[in-house]
Amino acid sequence: MVSPQNTNRYLDLIKNGIFTENTIFKLALSLCPSIAVTNNLRNGVLMGMAVLFVQVMVNITVSLLRHFIHPRIRLPVFMLIISGWVTVTDMTMAAFFREAYKEMGLYIQLIVAFASILARAEMFASKNKVTPSLFDGVGMGLGFLFALSVISFFREILGKGSLWGFPIIDAKPLLIMILPAGGFFAVGILMGFFNWIEMRYAKKHRSS
Amino acid sequence: MTGKDIIKITLNLVVIYIAGGIILTAIYAWTSPIMYRNDVIEKEQALKELMPEAETIEKLGDWTVHDKHAEYFIGKRGDMVTGYIVQSFGKGYSSYINTLIAVDKDFIVQRINILGHAETPGLGDEIEMDSFTNRFSGKDREHLQVVKTETTDYIQAISGATISSRAVTEDAVKQGVDFLIKRIREGKDGEPAEHE
Repeated sequence: MVSPQNTNRYLDLIKNGIFTENTIFKLALSLCPSIAVTNNLRNGVLMGMAVLFVQVMVNITVSLLRHFIHPRIRLPVFMLIISGWVTVTDMTMAAFFREAYKEMGLYIQLIVAFASILARAEMFASKNKVTPSLFDGVGMGLGFLFALSVISFFREILGKGSLWGFPIIDAKPLLIMILPAGGFFAVGILMGFFNWIEMRYAKKHRSS
Repeated sequence: MTGKDIIKITLNLVVIYIAGGIILTAIYAWTSPIMYRNDVIEKEQALKELMPEAETIEKLGDWTVHDKHAEYFIGKRGDMVTGYIVQSFGKGYSSYINTLIAVDKDFIVQRINILGHAETPGLGDEIEMDSFTNRFSGKDREHLQVVKTETTDYIQAISGATISSRAVTEDAVKQGVDFLIKRIREGKDGEPAEHE
């Protein structure tokens, strides 16, 4: 089953999730968490990992059940699958990763309402086999993790002068960055930046 | 939609929702005792850290502050009372600040611990740092006052977070200490202060 062609396809799926269809910078989905939890790097990364896990599990479950689910009721079923996996994540984190859960608890439950997860279940997993669905989930999840990490990296270093809670510079250059308003600035500027890079990249390819 | 569809859809939903319910119940049954145990351990540890000199810390009773339920404890070493711990709340800039305060038997503040709050990140959340909570050790109730200038006699406010500093000092801690003084001196709980 693992032929070079397949491997390429899977790599493409992952690349697609991280760059071409990045949830936040490209699709502009799930912007609420990208502002709410990104005022320090640790929260951003943990949230990204939780979403990665839920996205992969949801994609696998939806893909496994895709022939069984009646198309008319697919959305309520997807919602149940998503909320089921979110609750599982929520409870296991509360039991085994207490410290992280204290900060993340509220946001974990929010994953239920993430448009990006439902969108991938609907657009990809319900139409594809399990393995590609898994890789699509990994790609989308990694893309989300990447976006949240970049945003929270800049917000924490600029707003608090620290990274992962450790002081790096002894100043708060731009305090507004860790306040909610700064979240909008960070997301907007980074979104513009990534789109600008892509445009330049596309131009180069055309001219050469 | 035909009758067959309706049956299939119903069956679909029933099966999937029951399966989901069973899985969640199983996970809950597995994790909830662990969560409960962790809660108890964590609370005990928080109390111990506040009063390391005590051998046993027992709950004395409950009280309410800002309409919130809080508890208070007594710490003992052998038969000797080492001090009291009281939980209290202070109305901050954007949240109620949940605080634990340890006092010795003369009601001098020894240590405080901020259990929870939702103050502004980057400004108000500095109340939970040691650099702020350490300012409380050795203060009696008359010195629980926020000052904006540099001081060690009173509580020096965090720059940019006067409201949060005030909420901790003059609301949470002071109310907690006042409550303890009143309750313990009156000896309502059968634990009269022995130095009276």
